[in-house]
Amino acid sequence: MDSKKVIATNQLCKIYSTGRVQVEALKDINLDIDQGTFVAVAGASGSGKSTLLNLLGGLDRPTSGVIEVEGKKISEMTREELALYRRFGVGMIFQSFNLISSRTAVENVELPLVFANVLKRDRRQRAEKMLDRVGLLPRRRHRPPELSGGEQQRVAIARALINEPKILLADEPTGNLDSRTSREILQLLAALNQAQGLTVVLVSHEVALAREFAGETIGLRDGRVESRERVR
Amino acid sequence: MKISDYIGLSLSNLWKRKLRTFLTAFGVTVVIGALVAMVGFGKGMQKNITESFESLDLFNSLTVFPAGPATQRFGFDPDDQAPVEKNPRGGGPILDDEAIKKLEKLEGVQSVFPEIRFPALIKFKDAEELRLVQVIPAKITSSKLIKLSLGKPFASDDEDSVILGTSLLRPLKIQDPASLLGQKIEVASIAFDFSRFNPMNIASFLQERQLPFKKTAYEFTVIGVTSAISFGGPSPLQSDVLIPPGSARRIEKLPFANIWDLFRAREGRLGYSAVNIRLSSPRDVDSVKREIQDMGFSTFALVDQFNQVRTSFIYMDMMLAAVAMIAIFVASLGIINTMVMSILERYSEIGIMKAVGASDSDIQKIFFFESSSIGFLGGVCGLALGWVVSRIINRVINFFLAKQGLPFFEYFSFPLWLCLGAVAFAVLVSLVSGIYPAYRAARVDPVIALRHD
Ligand SMILES: Nc1ncnc2c1ncn2[C@@H]1O[C@H](COP(=O)(O)OP(=O)(O)OP(=O)(O)O)[C@@H](O)[C@H]1O
Ligand SMILES: [Mg+2]
Repeated sequence: MDSKKVIATNQLCKIYSTGRVQVEALKDINLDIDQGTFVAVAGASGSGKSTLLNLLGGLDRPTSGVIEVEGKKISEMTREELALYRRFGVGMIFQSFNLISSRTAVENVELPLVFANVLKRDRRQRAEKMLDRVGLLPRRRHRPPELSGGEQQRVAIARALINEPKILLADEPTGNLDSRTSREILQLLAALNQAQGLTVVLVSHEVALAREFAGETIGLRDGRVESRERVR
Repeated sequence: MKISDYIGLSLSNLWKRKLRTFLTAFGVTVVIGALVAMVGFGKGMQKNITESFESLDLFNSLTVFPAGPATQRFGFDPDDQAPVEKNPRGGGPILDDEAIKKLEKLEGVQSVFPEIRFPALIKFKDAEELRLVQVIPAKITSSKLIKLSLGKPFASDDEDSVILGTSLLRPLKIQDPASLLGQKIEVASIAFDFSRFNPMNIASFLQERQLPFKKTAYEFTVIGVTSAISFGGPSPLQSDVLIPPGSARRIEKLPFANIWDLFRAREGRLGYSAVNIRLSSPRDVDSVKREIQDMGFSTFALVDQFNQVRTSFIYMDMMLAAVAMIAIFVASLGIINTMVMSILERYSEIGIMKAVGASDSDIQKIFFFESSSIGFLGGVCGLALGWVVSRIINRVINFFLAKQGLPFFEYFSFPLWLCLGAVAFAVLVSLVSGIYPAYRAARVDPVIALRHD
């Protein structure tokens, strides 16, 4: 089987220091994630799941250790290089969707293209195509407050994938959704994973639901990898 | 990111907060408007003075005085005098026709005419006015020094013609100046009455307070009307009744215009109180001045006066700059405040933009574009405001001046550099004001900005 590593971490540590208090959010994380897998990360609240995802997404920097994505050490990148990595290398979605509420769905999806220097007329076309793929083309002119939670998350997924990254990082994307909609969102992620070989790292509380779709689960506890299990 | 994207993003952000954007821009508008109006006024005055100097050929003018207390020339307060360059030797020669012949021969001198003025009563129909009549050679009346609004200059030095200033029209109750041309007016002068002056009987003369003067009336034909005398400054023209020298000689008059002339008299001769010289070029002013001073006379060059005026304009400009600095500082605090508020409100939006790949410099530029858009808006509106205010002030001033019979006058000047400079200045100030907010925005930590609570 071809199991090309797309994400690899080595002795990854993250310590938050707020005043005199130090919180070790992640301790010596060593992870390999193969290209095209669907990984679910589970763990109690405060176990460091979001911290890990933010580090993998280039939103934050580790205190020590190395993160390699597609062969590039993002833990050693400059702020400018990290911005490029976030722009083209990964897409992220969040529990609270994080859409700009004053902009329409299609404008939200277009936003990464603005920073990617794509021509205005191509932007609209690409964004609409992407919205179509997540099934939201008819709602493209609606603003986030006019959309349901599931629809907003679809817009967020479209925005995360508009620059065609190889990796999608999802931090509890179903945390604000009911079980039916949660399932639909995970089905969409699984479909994208299978159809395009998109590597998905999903943080979820709902272990049972996540196991239905994930190929692999990672259990975190107090900032350490506690368990690792191949589901299929 | 493309420039058009920065502009589009910035404008849409500003538009979302219209009221605040316009209030902040309004601060800039007021400052720029006041500045534009003030600078426009200063430049307008400067331009007016320069132009009237130039059009009257005053840069080519030089006035010669006999050495001594030659201070009563402009009728100003003696403590506040134009800078007459006194001959250091003092007690020099008399300024008479002989001296004039010498002055005429100097290199660079185009024409010379003595300043002769005498008091006279001007009568037209039943109106009377007391005036100093000035004697002006015919060739000067056809020079740039005199701008005739009606009629023509003196054809010869001997005709019994008179040119009147527009300032005399109202006192003489003349509604239509054109109808005045060709009409006769009466000039009545005062002279010694030797028949009444009896030295043997001086006591009775003093007792009766009977002065040894008589009044003689002469008829003159109005040939022209000039408006240029409204300029109250140091022009060689100091009167609004002008007659040629030939006919002036025939008039019996007092041989002096003021008491100082009497003090200057030497060997029983009075000489002229002043002589006006016109040069072929302003460049000759310094050399001619030196030669005349060597002859023992004092000189006064209008160019020197003009340079003084110019220095005072520099002081005015500096004052303006100081006021502008304070005002612009306040306006820029407004911009900084608005931009920092905007960062706090858009904290999560900045985080989102960073998460989808905006770099620090992208964010920075978006904020720079926003603050400079405020500045640009404020600058353009300020320019318009300044212009409108200047139009109103100009109207008001001219309304009151018109009541006094003065012609319409443009007090403001808006050269292109002022208009472009005002807007550029507003943009520059807002850019500088944007430095700190843009830096703050660029350093927003996306992890904190995106945390859901
Ligand atoms: N900016 C920060 N400053 C200080 N401590 C932090 C910060 N961010 C996270 N932490 C701490 O790090 C630990 C890991 O937090 P993290 O958000 O990664 O947990 P999590 O697994 O995502 O929890 P949840 O399931 O509730 O989202 C927690 O103890 C948290 O308090
Ligand atoms: Mg979390």
